[in-house]
Amino acid sequence: MDSQLLNPTSLKSRFTARFLRALTKINAPNPISSSSPTPREIFQRYRRIKVAADKSMAYSVRSRTTWSRATLSRLRTRSRHRRLASFGPRSSVTTAAVLKKTSSHGKENEGGLGVQAGELRELVPGGEAMDLCNLLDETAHYIKCLTTQVQVMKTIANLYSLE
Amino acid sequence: MEKDQGFMAEGKPARNSCSPGMEMQTKELKNCFLNPNWDNSMDQGDPFESALSSMACSPAASNAGSSNFPGSGENVIMRELIGKLGNICNTISPQSFINPIPNNNISYYTSPLNSPPELNLSMVDSQMRGNLKFPSVGNQLLNHPSFAPISADPEFAERAARIPCFGVTEAGFPQRLVPTMDCMKITGSQPNVTDNNKSLPHNGNPCFDQVSGRLSRCSSTENGDSKEESSISEQIPGVDSSIKGQNDANARKRKSIPRGKAKETPYPAPADTKIAQENNESDAKRSKQPNGNAKEANDENQKQNKETPKPPEPPKDYIHVRARRGQATDSHSLAERVRREKISERMKFLQDLVPGCNKVTGKAVMLDEIINYVQSLQRQVEFLSMKLATVNPRMNVNMEALLSKDMFQSRGSLPHVLYSMDSSAPTFGSGYQPQQALPLNNGMSNNTEIQFSMNPINAALHKTQGLQLPPVDSSTSNNANPQIGSFLDDDLQSIVQMGFGQIQPQSYLSSKVAGQVKMEM
Repeated sequence: MDSQLLNPTSLKSRFTARFLRALTKINAPNPISSSSPTPREIFQRYRRIKVAADKSMAYSVRSRTTWSRATLSRLRTRSRHRRLASFGPRSSVTTAAVLKKTSSHGKENEGGLGVQAGELRELVPGGEAMDLCNLLDETAHYIKCLTTQVQVMKTIANLYSLE
Repeated sequence: MEKDQGFMAEGKPARNSCSPGMEMQTKELKNCFLNPNWDNSMDQGDPFESALSSMACSPAASNAGSSNFPGSGENVIMRELIGKLGNICNTISPQSFINPIPNNNISYYTSPLNSPPELNLSMVDSQMRGNLKFPSVGNQLLNHPSFAPISADPEFAERAARIPCFGVTEAGFPQRLVPTMDCMKITGSQPNVTDNNKSLPHNGNPCFDQVSGRLSRCSSTENGDSKEESSISEQIPGVDSSIKGQNDANARKRKSIPRGKAKETPYPAPADTKIAQENNESDAKRSKQPNGNAKEANDENQKQNKETPKPPEPPKDYIHVRARRGQATDSHSLAERVRREKISERMKFLQDLVPGCNKVTGKAVMLDEIINYVQSLQRQVEFLSMKLATVNPRMNVNMEALLSKDMFQSRGSLPHVLYSMDSSAPTFGSGYQPQQALPLNNGMSNNTEIQFSMNPINAALHKTQGLQLPPVDSSTSNNANPQIGSFLDDDLQSIVQMGFGQIQPQSYLSSKVAGQVKMEM
């Protein structure tokens, strides 16, 4: 369609740069080119790539949105959990409890949309502590970032598979 | 507008005589209260505009009206009143809407009845008939010391009386001007209509509310800020706490500023019930004649304000939100309405974001669609990361440079890639059966994500169907199979094969069907 370079500071370019860097880091230690990786390896790589994708997107957004902050904190606690397995469940529980406390105020006036709003809160990271109004804002930004992510990853995957 | 045109056609000389002052004023005025552009003023429902337009409409009637005028004494009183108002307004604020009138008073008064007074007279006359309070108002005005210098002709007084703010109130007439000033100031400072309404200090004068409402309307319109009042409400939390009587009236304000409707600020509350009612009646009558937008709403608001069984609560709303007609006006409901409108605004925005949501109506269904879309996007990310995990081993360092170039041409490159994949597609035996919910291992999503991932690919493909593509290295795709097969289900294998681009018209249709299936799910 258009062969122009995108805005170098746009969300897409930021995410792409970060994600590619992460990908090369993930793939670098892999000397395999002909031998088939075991399923476990593939699964591990899958997880790492997924984390890298979420992290690069959240970092590209910085802390402008609640969902990005929630994602970053979630990733950090998760990495902490993995290292300190015993302490993991505690922090996540407390975080959830705190969020639930704060979220109760803003959810008064949802009208008849309580069920869907709850589902949306589960989907959007960090959505538990927001009223419907802000939740919709966050959802809009989240959708935009997700579509960018999907687009970039699709292109990368296609390019990789081309080789 | 016919009336305006009529005015221009017939009242031109008269208009010119009175216009200089008005035009001067309009230049000074930030508000478009007295706008030489009569259309705008009419839309804004300026009381003067409506009055003047009605004046314009019926130059002939004015003459007849003059003869019907009940008593000259009252006319004199009204003239004095108007003149006094003009003087007061001049002193209070440069933005005073009354300014032009006093300036013109002199011309009116000194000259024999010229057309503008006659025009006014018609309006005033009819209004006076409907205005029960008029004589008493006139009597009161007589007492005002400053009325002496006014020697306006009777018609002008009637015209002034006709002006809603001037018309009917007894006691609070001089008080109006002060709130006007505040209203003006606030209007100037804030682009929103509601600010003005709420900022006005409460006085017992319903007319003032109208005027202030009009002013605020003017300002808001002029500033191009036609936001809903809900957005405005939060800006001025408590500008003027003295505005008590206006909550319901203010609450009734139109939200239709963006729609170009002018609704009057309803009269303040209970203290002026009587007056308000009479004002309502007179306003109702007035509104019939001129371009009724500005006044009708006001009248109806006022009527509803005073006469509906739904009791508008006494003034307590400082949130400067205009409630719609017929709606509850307590602060809670107003705040809720503001919230609801915010939410629907965001829902509309989301409707644009989520594809295929144009036909969906209703918040619940919209939210369901949004939820589905977010879920599908998340699954797509998972699927793509899995795909990247499988194909990564073949990546070489040059990919980054290649990718950075291709990323910026992503839309164009996709069909290339897909076609190249397509050549290898026949090697894969599995067919795409969207109706099946393919069970996946490792938390992979079902075929819904495939549907979503296929649809944009297909869309891009359809856009560039004429492209010639290099032949794919089918061995590459085939290599993926044994790797995947050991690890993943056959279903997942088929999905990955689909992801590798079994792009065929058949598959496009199937993905379309799949999309529908997904919607039904």
